[in-house]
Amino acid sequence: MLNILVVDDSLIIRKNIRKYITSLGHNVVGEAQSGAQAIDACKKLKPDLITMDITMPDMDGITAVKNIREFDKDVNIIMVTSHGQEEMIVSSLKAGAKGYILKPVSEEKLAKSIATIYDKEVAQDDDDLIDD
Amino acid sequence: MQNIEAGQIEENILLPMLERSISFLKEDMHISVTSNNLEVVCPNQVELKKNTAMIGTGGSIQVIITMSYDDELLDKLVEAFLEGEEVPEDEKDEVKESVSSEIVNTIVGNSLTNPLDGTTLSITPPILIYEAKSLFKHKSSKIATATIKTEFGDMLLTVIGPKESFADTLNFKEL
Repeated sequence: MLNILVVDDSLIIRKNIRKYITSLGHNVVGEAQSGAQAIDACKKLKPDLITMDITMPDMDGITAVKNIREFDKDVNIIMVTSHGQEEMIVSSLKAGAKGYILKPVSEEKLAKSIATIYDKEVAQDDDDLIDD
Repeated sequence: MQNIEAGQIEENILLPMLERSISFLKEDMHISVTSNNLEVVCPNQVELKKNTAMIGTGGSIQVIITMSYDDELLDKLVEAFLEGEEVPEDEKDEVKESVSSEIVNTIVGNSLTNPLDGTTLSITPPILIYEAKSLFKHKSSKIATATIKTEFGDMLLTVIGPKESFADTLNFKEL
């Protein structure tokens, strides 16, 4: 079970992502409505995973990811956004995100994105064991 | 900043948005679109409904995009977003506003690239307009609209520009 922080300025998106996370058997440790709140919540709650909106007032999601990476290299971050353009995906990944969900969000998309990150991590761990 | 002509607003901004709005209503919200005549018009005046959310594009092309809904249609969209979940009475208005904002964010973000050079257009967080409003075309401004008719009422899409000519209340500013 993962402890997940949900970051989005939209109430309906926070509600739906919370519902999907619970249904997938994970735990929502907190919610934030802006990039600045996300940084504080990440320091305080130490989540395993963050779902991060890109377009938010005050501080956007990509800037928040860059800030979080300065003090936490391990937390996995999935960007949630309406932008389908490659340029935006590349910027998010360069900032330190591990995955990407295109709105509208669904439980299936979220499950797939989480599985992609954690399946990769399991594969990486297996490789490390073989290397040892 | 590049200049965009009225024809480009229709062809490169409103039409992709219209197509995505229809697929969003049908495929994501499971709402039937009933009109066969999806015409884009450039009126001198447009009447926005009281349920309206607007978003601005940033970067090299700056326009304002609005989406207005009839009451019953917005109620159905809220129902679709909630997927059967009950909402406490004191949260209902906020949920409705959040759905209205989220739809314009999703559709605009999903459909727009810069028609002039293919680059991504950034978008601002959505702003809600709480009253029915008339927009008038001024000398330097351009307006293009399209109405989607559904089984639960209409959705009106409007693109107006240039963005710097309008305040956040959509009132025209003399520059």
